[in-house]
Amino acid sequence: MLEIKNIQKSFGESKILKGVDIKIDKGDVVVILGPSGSGKTTLLRCINFLEKADEGLAVFDGIDINLKTASKRQIHSIRQKTAFVFQNYNLFNNKTALENVTEGLIVGRKMPKEEANELGKKALNKVGLSEKYNAYPSELSGGQQQRVGIARAVVIDPDIILFDEPTSALDPELVGEVLTVMKNIAKEGTTMLVVTHEMSFAKDVANRVIFMDEGIVIEEGSPKDIFVHPKEERTRKFLKRVLPEDFTYYI
Amino acid sequence: MEKYFDATYILQSIPMLLPFLKVTFMVACLSILFGTIIGFILAAAKLGKSKIARNLANGYITILRCTPSIVLLFLVYYGIPAIGNNLGMNLNDIDKAVFVIVTFSLQFGALMCEVIRSAYESIDKGQFEAAVSVGLSNIQAYGRIIFPQAFVVALPNFGNSLLALLQEGALAYTIGLIDIVGKANLIIASNYNAHALEIFLALSIIYWVISIAIEHFFLKLERAFSKGKQSLKAL
Amino acid sequence: MSEGLDYKFLIDTFFVALSGVPIALAITIVALMVALPLGFILALSRINRFLVLHRFAQIYVSFVRGTPIIVQIFIVYSSIPLLLDSIVTKYNFEMNVYDVNPIWYAFIVFSFNTTAILIEVFRSALNTVSKGQLEAAQSVGLTNVQAFRRIIIPQTLVVALPNICTVTVNLIKATSLGYALSLQEITLRAKVAANVGYNYVEAYIDIFLVYLILCSLVEYIFKLYEKRLIKYKAVNA
Repeated sequence: MLEIKNIQKSFGESKILKGVDIKIDKGDVVVILGPSGSGKTTLLRCINFLEKADEGLAVFDGIDINLKTASKRQIHSIRQKTAFVFQNYNLFNNKTALENVTEGLIVGRKMPKEEANELGKKALNKVGLSEKYNAYPSELSGGQQQRVGIARAVVIDPDIILFDEPTSALDPELVGEVLTVMKNIAKEGTTMLVVTHEMSFAKDVANRVIFMDEGIVIEEGSPKDIFVHPKEERTRKFLKRVLPEDFTYYI
Repeated sequence: MEKYFDATYILQSIPMLLPFLKVTFMVACLSILFGTIIGFILAAAKLGKSKIARNLANGYITILRCTPSIVLLFLVYYGIPAIGNNLGMNLNDIDKAVFVIVTFSLQFGALMCEVIRSAYESIDKGQFEAAVSVGLSNIQAYGRIIFPQAFVVALPNFGNSLLALLQEGALAYTIGLIDIVGKANLIIASNYNAHALEIFLALSIIYWVISIAIEHFFLKLERAFSKGKQSLKAL
Repeated sequence: MSEGLDYKFLIDTFFVALSGVPIALAITIVALMVALPLGFILALSRINRFLVLHRFAQIYVSFVRGTPIIVQIFIVYSSIPLLLDSIVTKYNFEMNVYDVNPIWYAFIVFSFNTTAILIEVFRSALNTVSKGQLEAAQSVGLTNVQAFRRIIIPQTLVVALPNICTVTVNLIKATSLGYALSLQEITLRAKVAANVGYNYVEAYIDIFLVYLILCSLVEYIFKLYEKRLIKYKAVNA
């Protein structure tokens, strides 16, 4: 469904992405792991054109889009088909939870307001925020804000949702509620590309794990392949460093 | 010439001065209008990609910041007719209010540029990213997400600039505009300079009351608009 | 008068205007010397809600911020002679109150005005220096005075410096209103020179240039000083 070919990106002198290829099929939950600075976040941002790649091709449902030279219309069409969940939530500060969720429907897709509100409420119910329709972001906890962020992504019914370290900014006790919501929408068959440090999520929910380091894909495979039988030395070293002692992989 | 203090003159002169507030307000409102437009143009130049435009805007702001209002006022008052003269136009008969409005529009523009720029820059870039990621166009993202938030941030500074303008505007009398200060000076002159203090005190009371009213108005406005603003600070 | 600029006059008058700089600077420096300590103390009283002083400071600031400085000048210029006159007649001093050098009035007005502005500047600066700094200073055994002198004031000054720069530039600009006190500063000197041949455009260009140079210079000096102090800034951020 989505294929990224040879994506490259530099910031000034430092090359962050050195030619990355990934392929995602419908219904996939792909988790990208890797040490910080490995280019995971940049990869995600380039796919959504939040950064402009220096090189690369996106094949979306058989249509080629050059990531470097894409026209405004192509960018808009990709953004309409994708949704993004940000590390620091980026909820619209001047809008309520419900307005945050419906903004993309009403303005981006010209949906009638009543219909959008209905969908918006459904999405908020799904992430367990049926009580918070009219709360402003400043009145919500970090975990609640991120759940609104997820509802905002889910509601536009995108072909794929990109998650950029959705739990990194949260206090440890709030991580669980967000991961639960993510697991639930993964179960519904939503296609997801997730950058995260939550190994348990990768293990339990992903059907494919990609390990990246220094701007390239080192290794990819099923969670079992990566966690139990990593082929590459770098993957092993990384896992050894980040996995808790009692982390075991049951089949 | 009697020189003693008589507080009744303060109360007597206030009703004589108040009608001339009309002139003061008219000049101020037009300066705010044109100044805000200039401010937007300058802010766009400063935030834009063109280096020349940015330098021009910076130069304009530095110059205006370093020029006393009264000097700018007289430069405009004497300068514009002189330039017009050289171009073969007779600009000597224009209403004095025009020169005042030109002067304070130029000055307010420089103030507003900084207000607009800092408000814009205070909005986290993620707000724009989130807006386009849910499918808003760039213009929609600015119009619905960035601008409403920047507006709230700009409110207090806008209020302060407004107060500054009102007070600098008191110098308009120096080129002969009969606004509230001009009228005060006329009253004093017709009294053979007696009781000047009382009339100036009356003048200061009027300005003070207006300033406090404007301040309160902006505080109220800020409160009314600041829904969801708290988290802006937290970010 | 319409045949373009009189360049000779332009150049001559530039130096006439320049000769008013010392007076403008004298007023600026005196006003700052009075206003910096006084403003700081009153800012402290505002923050600590010190008895009547904080109420007084509040009204004082509101008045200065709420009225044009030219009106403040008018008030001082017309009230002080009245006051002096009554004192002089009461105690039979040998003094003509109308012979007082107008620069004294300028000192009074601009100190009065700048103090109020600086109260607000210091108040917001003091608010940014966290309470933790004072507590930390006390925890290592500094007295209140020591804590202020060595920890709080240096940090406050760094935070306030950009605003103090703005206040200084505005003060220099405001001295152009000295004409209302018949003070021989930059603007009045050039204007008087222009009265002879109606070369007002030239005169005001000169005045404009003098202020531009003076204020840019002051801004530049503040920028340099700020750079030297910037090492504190990381602490505050």
